[in-house]
Amino acid sequence: MTPKDRISPDENGHSAAGTSSGQAADAQSQEQKLQTMISALWDRSRHTVVERAALLRTAGDLLLDNRLDQATQLHAVDSAHKLAGVLGTFGLPRGTDLAREAEVLFGQSTPPGKVEIERLQDLLAELTSLIDRGPLGSG
Amino acid sequence: MTHRILIIDDEDDIRQVAAMSLETVAGWDVLLASSGKQGIERASTEQPDAILLDVMMPEMDGPTTLLKLKANGSTSHIPVLLLTAKVQGPDQRKFAEMGVAATLFKPFDPLTLARQISAALGWKEGG
Repeated sequence: MTPKDRISPDENGHSAAGTSSGQAADAQSQEQKLQTMISALWDRSRHTVVERAALLRTAGDLLLDNRLDQATQLHAVDSAHKLAGVLGTFGLPRGTDLAREAEVLFGQSTPPGKVEIERLQDLLAELTSLIDRGPLGSG
Repeated sequence: MTHRILIIDDEDDIRQVAAMSLETVAGWDVLLASSGKQGIERASTEQPDAILLDVMMPEMDGPTTLLKLKANGSTSHIPVLLLTAKVQGPDQRKFAEMGVAATLFKPFDPLTLARQISAALGWKEGG
């Protein structure tokens, strides 16, 4: 989802009811300007997002080997929480959903079972793939 | 009327995208702080019209920062909107009891953030 996708034009193609064509053009111009700025910000922020996803994969692998220590677990919960908060804003709502699920799975007080660990591996692979592709329209 | 908003968030990308959104879409002035301590100082000296405050921050978290803002005579009148990636009900109830004007959720839509803030604060404009 990009900011452009979030606007639902009415049947006349206006993004807001009752706007004149000039106002609609201004709004579209603002939207395009904002989208360009956010794409540039994504390019600058991408390395942080990639690092956080890598930390989640490392934590997931440690969990699989039953070697996940508490400090890494807490880092994983924090990283997943941060990814959940930002990916949707950058146009990756599915990334937010996956990160939220990872936050819950890593944050459990009891060790996750085999099914949950497998689910975690799958969702982290999907999350990595999503981040590699990036939002639509980004560099 | 141009509003002045103080954004307090430890995450650089969130601060930047929120600032871009409010400046570009609504034409508001945006002040930034990367910690609760810095945010309290800026709020006290610059007297913004509202504060957008992240909940999860290292050292001084959002709720602690909120309590300090509300206890300080020079900032207690400034409406505070909490920004959180958590969606649990108990947290929201706790925040409301602490005097927040509203709770907004991450991820936010950059195109509608100003509108959400305006609606929460009863401002007529907002992009």
